[in-house]
Amino acid sequence: MQSADPATHDVLPIVLEQTRRLGRTLDAAAIDRQARLPGDLLPRLAELGLFGLTIPAPEGGLGLSLGEACQVVAELAEVDRSVATTVGLHCGLGTRGLVELGDEALRRRWLARLASGEVVAAFGATEPGAGSDLTAVATTAHVEGDALRLEGEKAYVTNGGFAGMFTVLARTPELGGNRAWSLVAVPRDRPGVHVGAEEHKLGIRGSSTTTVRFDGVRVPRSHVLGEPGAGMVHAHRLLEWGRTLMAAGCLGTARAALRATLAHARMRRQFGRPLADFQVVEGHLARMASTAWAMEALVAHVGRLEGEGRPIAVPSAAAKVFCSEGAFDLCDRAVQLHGALGFVEDTGMALLLRDCRVTRIFEGANDVLCVRIGTALATGAPDTERLVHGPGSVDPEPHREWMTANARLDALVDEARRRRGIALVRDQRWLAWLGQAHLALHAASASLATAGPGADAIARGTHACKTFVRRAHEALDRLTHAPDDTARDAALMEILR
Amino acid sequence: MRSDPQQRRNRVISLIADIAELELDEVREGHRLREDLGMDSLGSLELLSTLSEELRIDLEIEDAMGIETVGDACEFLERNYLAQTAQPVAQSAER
Repeated sequence: MQSADPATHDVLPIVLEQTRRLGRTLDAAAIDRQARLPGDLLPRLAELGLFGLTIPAPEGGLGLSLGEACQVVAELAEVDRSVATTVGLHCGLGTRGLVELGDEALRRRWLARLASGEVVAAFGATEPGAGSDLTAVATTAHVEGDALRLEGEKAYVTNGGFAGMFTVLARTPELGGNRAWSLVAVPRDRPGVHVGAEEHKLGIRGSSTTTVRFDGVRVPRSHVLGEPGAGMVHAHRLLEWGRTLMAAGCLGTARAALRATLAHARMRRQFGRPLADFQVVEGHLARMASTAWAMEALVAHVGRLEGEGRPIAVPSAAAKVFCSEGAFDLCDRAVQLHGALGFVEDTGMALLLRDCRVTRIFEGANDVLCVRIGTALATGAPDTERLVHGPGSVDPEPHREWMTANARLDALVDEARRRRGIALVRDQRWLAWLGQAHLALHAASASLATAGPGADAIARGTHACKTFVRRAHEALDRLTHAPDDTARDAALMEILR
Repeated sequence: MRSDPQQRRNRVISLIADIAELELDEVREGHRLREDLGMDSLGSLELLSTLSEELRIDLEIEDAMGIETVGDACEFLERNYLAQTAQPVAQSAER
C-alpha cells in the first residue's frame, strides 16, 4: 500500500512495530470476559498515536493514508477485534467527516484533541427504525437562528460509551427540504446528549456499543459538516472509509485464525500422523490461505485506489463483503479443524468466530451491499472494474482463465440488461447473484495482481486466483443452467464460502 | 388504461411522493431526485422501474440513467409511453 505522503513511509514501520508490541500485552480473552477494555488501554493507544493515524500531520495526527491505516488496524485485529474496532471506527467514520468536511474553526478546535486521543470519536447514523435504509433516519436538526437543535435517537453507536464527539446524520428540513439530511458534529458535553447503557453482544464485547439520544441538543450551524443538505452523499463517502477499515480488521482476524490453525494442524496427531498430513485437512488449509491472500489483496487494492484519488464506493463495499464473509468462513474452518478444542473458549477460536460475526451485518448488511454491487454492474457504474493491475504473477495461464470467466459474467450482465430492461434494478435476487459473481472474480484478479515477488508469493497468489476463478466458473455454470431460483441461490452462496 | 397525459403525469408524481414519503403538494417538477428527494442512483432507477411497470412500457437502463429531476422523469416516461403505444399501430400499418 502506497503512502500519500513520502514522510509517512518512515512512520508506518514504527507504528506497526509499536502496535505489535502493544498486542503482546493484550489479553483478548479477558477483554471478552469482562466485556470492556482495560482501564489503562485507551491512554496507551493514545500514547502510540493510534487515534491520530489518519488525521493530517499539521493537525497533530500521523497523516497515514487509508491503505496504511488498514495495515495498523489489521495488526490490532490479529490480537483483539474489540480494540481494532475501537481504533478503526475512530479513524474512519468517527473523524473522517471532520477531517474532510469540517470548517477551519471546527478542525482547529477538535482535530488535535481527536488525534491525541484526548477525545474519542463516534458516528451515529443507524436508528431503531433505520438500519441499512438510511433514508429512514428520523433524527432531526432544526435551524434556530445561528444554531441547530437536534431531536432523536441513534442506536448501536460504536465507541458511544466514551466518545467525546459524535458525527450525526440528521434530517435538516430547513437546509434543503423535507428529504434533506446533513452531517452534524455534536460534542458529548452539550446539554441534552444522553448516552445509554452498554449493549450485551455476541462478539466484540470489549468495544463500546450504546444508544445516544439527543433531547433538544443545540450546536452552532457551523457544526454542519460539508454541504448543508448533502449529508447522505457525505455519509456514503465516510462509509467507504469505514468499510475498508472494517475489511482490514477482518483480514487481521483471518490471519490470526489461519496462524493458530496451521500450528494446531502441525502439532495435533491423530491416527499416527499430524492433522496437516491428511488430504481433507490440507484442502481446508489451502482454502483458508487462499481466502486470506485474496482478502489482503482486496484491502490493499482499495487503499491504492483511494491514494490515487479514484472512486472506491464499489471496491470498498466489495472488500467489506468479501473480507467479512471470508473471515467468518475462515474462523468457522478454524473451529472445525481444532475439533472440540475449537468449541471451548481456551484456544481463542470461538472468540474469533464470535467477534467477526457482526461484520457481515454492520456498516451495510452484506446482502444489501451485494444487491448494490449488482446494481452498479447492471448500470455500468465506473468503479466496477474487476481487473486489478499490479506487479504480480506473469504466468499467463491463470490470467487466461480469469479472462474467460470475466467474459462470461459480462455476457450474463449484458443478457440480463437486454432481456429485463429497467425491471432488472428491482430484481434483488438477480442483482445479488451478479454482485457475488463479481466479488469472486474481483478477488481472483486482486490475488493475481499481488502474487509476487518471490516464488512462494507467486505460488500462493496464483493458487488463490485459480481457486476463485474456478468457483466463479462453477457458480456461473450453475447460475445459467439452474432449473430454478433456489438452485441459483445455492450456487451463488457457495462462491464466498 | 391511463390515456390522458395529465392523468399519467399525476400518477407519476403521486408514486414519487409515495416513495419519497412526501405529501403530494410537496413534490415539484424541478425537484432533483438525488439532491432534493434523497434518492440514490438505485432509488431513482427503482422508481422508474416501478413507473414503467405501472404504465406498462419497457425501458432500457441506459436511457433512464440521465434522469435527474421529477420533470425529467415525467417527460421521459411520457415520451416512451407514446412511442410504445403508437408502435403496434405503425407495425400493423406496415403489414
